[in-house]
Amino acid sequence: MVTVALDIEPAHAHQWIDAAMLTHPSLIDTTHVTDELFGFVNIPMAVWIDEQGSIVRPAESASIESSPLRDMEIPAGLPERLDRMFREIKKIPDCAADYRAAIEDWVANGADSRFSLDPDEVIARSQPRGLDESRAAACFELGEHLRRTAPTEVERGAAAVMWWREAHRLHPANWTYKRQAWTLVTTPAGASENDLMQGPNDVYVGNWLDDVIAGGGGGAYTVTPQL
Amino acid sequence: MILETLEEVDATLFAARTGWAATAQGMCRGEVCVPAPGALRADGSLDVRVAADRLGMPIVHDEAHRLWAVGPATATGRAISTVVAADPELLARDGGPFRLSSLHGRKVLLVAWSSY
Repeated sequence: MVTVALDIEPAHAHQWIDAAMLTHPSLIDTTHVTDELFGFVNIPMAVWIDEQGSIVRPAESASIESSPLRDMEIPAGLPERLDRMFREIKKIPDCAADYRAAIEDWVANGADSRFSLDPDEVIARSQPRGLDESRAAACFELGEHLRRTAPTEVERGAAAVMWWREAHRLHPANWTYKRQAWTLVTTPAGASENDLMQGPNDVYVGNWLDDVIAGGGGGAYTVTPQL
Repeated sequence: MILETLEEVDATLFAARTGWAATAQGMCRGEVCVPAPGALRADGSLDVRVAADRLGMPIVHDEAHRLWAVGPATATGRAISTVVAADPELLARDGGPFRLSSLHGRKVLLVAWSSY
C-alpha cells in the first residue's frame, strides 16, 4: 500500500503520518497532480496498479472501514448546520466491507481476480474529463504555483483565490480542489488541525454542506465502487 | 503543467510532467499515439500549442505573471487515456522524491487521503 496526501502544505499531513507510525510509503502530493493523472476527485479514493505498472482499477471511493458517524445517532440540540452535515454524511454510501474484500481478492488472485479490470474497462470507468475539467486542473495548478511564487504575500493569496475560484466553478465535482481551498480560509490561525466543517466564508462562493446538497446530497458525494 | 513560454518547450520536460512524449508517430503515452504533425520541431523542442490542440489540452494564461498552465489531455474524454500508470515525482515523508515506478514488480494500492 502507498498513501498519498493531497495537501499543499506538507506539515498538515506530517502530523497524521507520524501519529500513525506508518511503515508503507507515505507520500504527499502538494500540487494535487494525482487528481490530474489518476482521476482522483475526492478522498479517500484509490487506484490499483499491477506488477507491470498497469492500472487495473481506476480511481474510486476507497473506504475500508465504515465511518462511525454512519451508525451514530445524531445528538439532539446540535447547531442546525452541524445537524444537517451529519444527516448528509449518513447518506454517503457505505461500501467499505465489499471494497476491502475486493482488495483482498486481488492481492490473493492478481489478474484472475474478478475485480481486476481489463484496460478498456479501466479507461471507461475512469472519471469523465472534458475541457472544463481539464481547464479546472490548469487553474488549480496556477493557483498553487502562484501561492508559492508570486512576489508578495498579498499577491500570493490573491492569485491563489482567483484561480481556485475558477477551478471550483469549472469542476464542481472535484472536492479536493474545493476542500483544500476552503480549509485554508476556515481554519482559525494557530489551530493544530484543519477545519473539517468548511462552512460559509467570505472568500469562496461555496462551502462543504451547501455544495454537497447542490451536488445531489451525501448519496452522490463519492465515486461509488462498481464491484 | 506550468510554463513561462509556449515557444521552444523542452519535449522531455513536457513528457515527464504530462506523460505525453513527442515521437515520430505523434504525441504518445503508453500504447496510445495521437498524430500531431508539427508538434516536434527539428531542434527537438515542442510546439506546445500544436501538441495541446491535438491532445485536447486547454491552455490557461495568467497575464499578470506571464505564466501559462496546460491542462491534462481530454482526447479520450476520460481521466485516464491509457492504463500505463503515470509516474509523477511525489514527496516522501523525509522530504525526498518518490516515484511509484520504484515499486515496479509489486502490486500497488495507491490511496489518496488528506488532512482536511
